[in-house]
Parts: sequence; structure tokens; C-alpha cells
Amino acid sequence: MSPKPADRQPAAPAAWIFGRDAVRARERRAAFVQGLRASRPALMPTAIWGVVAGIAMIKTGLTVAQALSMTLLVYSGSAQMAVLPLIAADAPVSIALLTAFVVNLRFIIFSATLWPYFGRLPMPRRLALGYVATDVGLALFVSRHANSPEHERGNEHQQWFFFGVAAAIWLAWQPASIVGILLAGVIPGHWGLEFAAILALMVMTAPMLAGRPAVVGALIAGVVSVAAAALPLKLGLLLGVVAGVVAAMAVDATSGRTPTGHAQ
Amino acid sequence: MMSNTEIWLTIIGLTLLTVVMRNVFLVLGHRVTLPPRVQHALRYAPACALVAVILPELVLQPGIGGGGPVMDLASPKLIAGAVAIASLLLTRHSTAAIVLGMAAYLLLR
Repeated sequence: MSPKPADRQPAAPAAWIFGRDAVRARERRAAFVQGLRASRPALMPTAIWGVVAGIAMIKTGLTVAQALSMTLLVYSGSAQMAVLPLIAADAPVSIALLTAFVVNLRFIIFSATLWPYFGRLPMPRRLALGYVATDVGLALFVSRHANSPEHERGNEHQQWFFFGVAAAIWLAWQPASIVGILLAGVIPGHWGLEFAAILALMVMTAPMLAGRPAVVGALIAGVVSVAAAALPLKLGLLLGVVAGVVAAMAVDATSGRTPTGHAQ
Repeated sequence: MMSNTEIWLTIIGLTLLTVVMRNVFLVLGHRVTLPPRVQHALRYAPACALVAVILPELVLQPGIGGGGPVMDLASPKLIAGAVAIASLLLTRHSTAAIVLGMAAYLLLR
């Protein structure tokens, strides 16, 4: 039943993951391992951001159960971190979710980006691939496979490469996040470590600010959000987002038709 | 601070939201097409939302005695944020930026 003893890989190709057909299992495993390897440069930043997220959730006042559920179920660092200040400020749940929705709009773009590759696979496979999609994973996948010929798109090799990347990122993020959650109980509360979440958000936002429309839009969004901060229900935040997007598109329209920056 | 129930609702809502948004296109496929204008707007929205969350956290202090939030351009948070951005631009290293920003914040407050 087990397909061939492992050659030089430490892990034997597990039939329950890669299937029983020995030849295909080896190919799948090889693609999976390539994905794991390709993720190496992203592992450290992901793990650190995971620890910070874990600490920030607890320091904002979530219980350990809440923080663990959030990290394991939501699995979206930026949405989690964006919602924390709103939880602290007792914003309505609907506003918190709306904010996360806007922050997560980039997932819709991811989903559209992955469609040419995986859009014709069986539905369970598509759902599995979609669930493990992350910013870093998508960037690694696209940088590796963007120029692949039409007939190779979404083949087994690409699927298993994608799963390999996803597994590496998941394993870098989740344990780190859990360490952060447990560590937070030991660190004194008055250190203000919840602020690290804001810094992590800043670092995450910076690469998105490529091109003039994006920069102008983000500035307007920030200024309007500050100016309208006194509005109830954190509506100033939403007002800022709308103003920012309108401004970005206006700048985009006036600066000619060439699209600036790259879709993240 | 939200109540316990509200926090749980937020977590459940976030979970559903994230699963759905990660999968819309993969699941609906051809049946949806995004006009280029909408795609543009989608591209700018996340950065706008993140900055709209971040900036008030840096420059606003909670008002004293139930008043509204007060602008404070010399707040330790704003300076620490500036340190983090400067470190990011200089070192291109996200971890260094977080660590230096946090160090500045801890020293100043």
C-alpha cells in the first residue's frame, strides 16, 4: 500500500495525502516539496507577524479561546488586525465586519487571479485551494507560474505546488500565532504591545502603496477617517475608505489610461 | 470594548466572510465578470481601508471626560509610526521596522 520507501526525502509520500498510485504520488510530492521550498523566504516574516498578531489579540482583551478561534478560523492576519482597534473601541459588529470586508476585497482579486488556473477543477478541490490562498502564497505562485503555457494551467503539478506553498505559510503562521497568544499572558500589560499590531498593519500596507493613485487615495482615506473620527459607529472609517477609493480612481483617470502598480 | 457575545459574533462573521471572499471567483467562475472600473476600485480599496484604520490610531487620543477623540501630533504612537516607516524605507526589512517602531514607542511613552 505504501508507495516505495522514501529516497532522499525525509518524509515518505503518504498515501492518504498524495494518493495510492506510486508514480503520481511521487510527482505530487515533488511539486508539494517545491512549493514548501519556494516559501522559504516568506516563512520568517510570516511567523513574526503571527506572533505579533497573537500578542495583539490578547492585549486587546480577547480571551485565549477567542484568540485561538480567531486565528484558526479566520486565518487572515490583516482582517484580524484591522478589526482589533474596532473591538477595543466598542464599534458595532456590523462596522467591524464591513471594515474586514473592505480589507479582504483583495481576496476577490486573488480569487479572480487563480481562476484561469484552477477554475475548471472539481468543486471540492477549488474550495480547498481557495481556502488556503494567502497574500504571500498567491504572490509566490503567480511569480512561479504566470508564464506557464495554457495547457499546463491548473495541472496537478501547479495544484500541488500551490498546496505546498499554502502548507508552509499555514505552518509558519498558526503555531507562531498560538505562541503569541500564550506569550501574551506572561508579558506585562502596561507595555502597550497591542500597538505592535498597528505597526504590523503599517508594514503590511506599505507595499500596497505603489503608484500615485494608490498613495493619494490612501492619504485621503486616512485624513478623512481622522477628520470624521467623531462620527458615531466608526462611520468616519467607512467615509474615509469611500473618499480614498474615489480619489484614487480620479487620479487614475487623470493620469492617463496606463494602469499603475501591480495587482497585489 | 465589545462584549463577549459581540466578539464571538465578530469572529464567526469574519470566518464566513473570509471563506466566501476567498472563493467567490473560483466557485462562480465564468458567471461573474468584473468591469475594469470595478477591478480598479477593488485594487485601491484595501490600502485605503488599512490606512483609514491606522492613521486615527496614530494621531488621535481618546478624549478626557467623555469628550470626542483629540488630535495629538506629538503622540508617542505617531512618532513610533514614523520611526517604523523610516526603518522600513531604509532597511527594507519588515521585522526591523516593527521592532524599531515598538522600541521607539516603549521609550517615548
